[in-house]
Amino acid sequence: VRCQLSPPRRPFQASAVLRRVSDEEKKEPLASSSQQQFDSHPADHQPEQGPQGPRPSYTGQGGQESEDYESEEQLQHRILTAALEFVPEHGWSAEAIAEGAKTLGLSVAAAGMFHSDGSELILHFVSQCNTKLSELLEQEQKLVQLGEAEKKPTDQFLRDAVEVRLRMLIPYIEKWPQALSILLLPHNIPSSLNLLTSMIDDIWHYAGDQSTDFNWYTRRAVLTGIYNTTELVMMQDSSPDFEETWRFLENRVADAMNMGNTANQVQSTGEAVVQGLMGAAVTVSNAETSRAVR
Amino acid sequence: LPAGGVSLRLCSTRVASEGVNKPVIDRIIRVDHAGEYGANRIYAGQMAVLGRSSAGPVIQQMWNQEKDHLKKFNELMVAYRVRPTVLLPFWNVAGFVLGAGSALLGKRGAMACTVAVEESISDHYNSQIRTLMEEDPEKYKELLQIIKQFRDDEREHHDIGLEHDAEAAPAYSVLKTAIQLGCKAAIFLSERI
Repeated sequence: VRCQLSPPRRPFQASAVLRRVSDEEKKEPLASSSQQQFDSHPADHQPEQGPQGPRPSYTGQGGQESEDYESEEQLQHRILTAALEFVPEHGWSAEAIAEGAKTLGLSVAAAGMFHSDGSELILHFVSQCNTKLSELLEQEQKLVQLGEAEKKPTDQFLRDAVEVRLRMLIPYIEKWPQALSILLLPHNIPSSLNLLTSMIDDIWHYAGDQSTDFNWYTRRAVLTGIYNTTELVMMQDSSPDFEETWRFLENRVADAMNMGNTANQVQSTGEAVVQGLMGAAVTVSNAETSRAVR
Repeated sequence: LPAGGVSLRLCSTRVASEGVNKPVIDRIIRVDHAGEYGANRIYAGQMAVLGRSSAGPVIQQMWNQEKDHLKKFNELMVAYRVRPTVLLPFWNVAGFVLGAGSALLGKRGAMACTVAVEESISDHYNSQIRTLMEEDPEKYKELLQIIKQFRDDEREHHDIGLEHDAEAAPAYSVLKTAIQLGCKAAIFLSERI
């Protein structure tokens, strides 16, 4: 029996505990069990089985991979995706992740790979939603480019994008306040902020924003404010199909559009006033000069 | 005990476009955009003071070229989805003040400012060209071409400044050193913020 532990990718990684002893065997096709030199544990033809004995490693070694090769990261994503279905019942927690792992045929100990407060589950969900939103916006853009759809005015585009994105929360709305508070924990803030800013940037990009001055920041700050406040309103909305929330959203977007117009008006009024004063000054100085000449 | 913080790649949903080294390109475009913007404001300040003097046409011509440069970087910024530096409003004012201030020292003062700034910018473009060549000259061919062209233009401005008696400006070496230090600081900040 060869007892070679492949070096863990990261030290103290929990999954090292879950690794099968003779990792080399993974390279050979799993069908030919007679060739394998397993230790005394029951021969596992599939990489994943019930909670018996150590789990096989998926990190691979020496570049040789069987067809079932899957990186640790991919496995983690699969577990988290499976766990989402249990969130309405168990909340964003290690229990949900454990249930998710079970549906994939893994041991509940797989939940030990993650933080006990469910942070990664929430971040995974947010990231998934953002990706879905980007794909939808990309498709919409293609339709407009092909001439099969009308280009929406900016305010409607923003309203629709935010609504689509917030609707993704509906299945998990009961537990979402919990998720928001976890996302605000100091160790999660860099990731959650990053996800938020890239989503807002995506929305503006597809809305056709081409600003290269300070407007770039103003627009994103305004949209972030609209998104966050609408999300909070949604948490407390009990109207049918969240009508109140969408109405709130419509009003905030309209406010934002007005703000832009008002800023322009203030600027042009200011310029007009300055020109008026300059004209007055020139007139007075001319009058003085002509008086002096007489 | 299992260590909790597994670092899943959860941060960005944006796909890198065709394997471009986004962080490097981001910085390059951001700082170049800021630089051209600042150069524009410097010439605007100089024109505000010396617009009607004999140096007017020369400065105007250099300013027009900078306007073209800025337009190009605006396009690149949108194409590569790069964030502009948050210090733009500051460069707006600082550039104008530098241009106007140097012009108040007279025509030679303005030319000295031009020499100092253009030398900084062309050195800076040269190091960017080196960086891109080290990365992958083929992949960044278009960008390299643009930066090389602009570097040549800035070099030309530098030479024009020297032709117009920049070195005869009051406290030339002090002025030049101070302005170049300011440029270095501006470049450092604009790359990051």
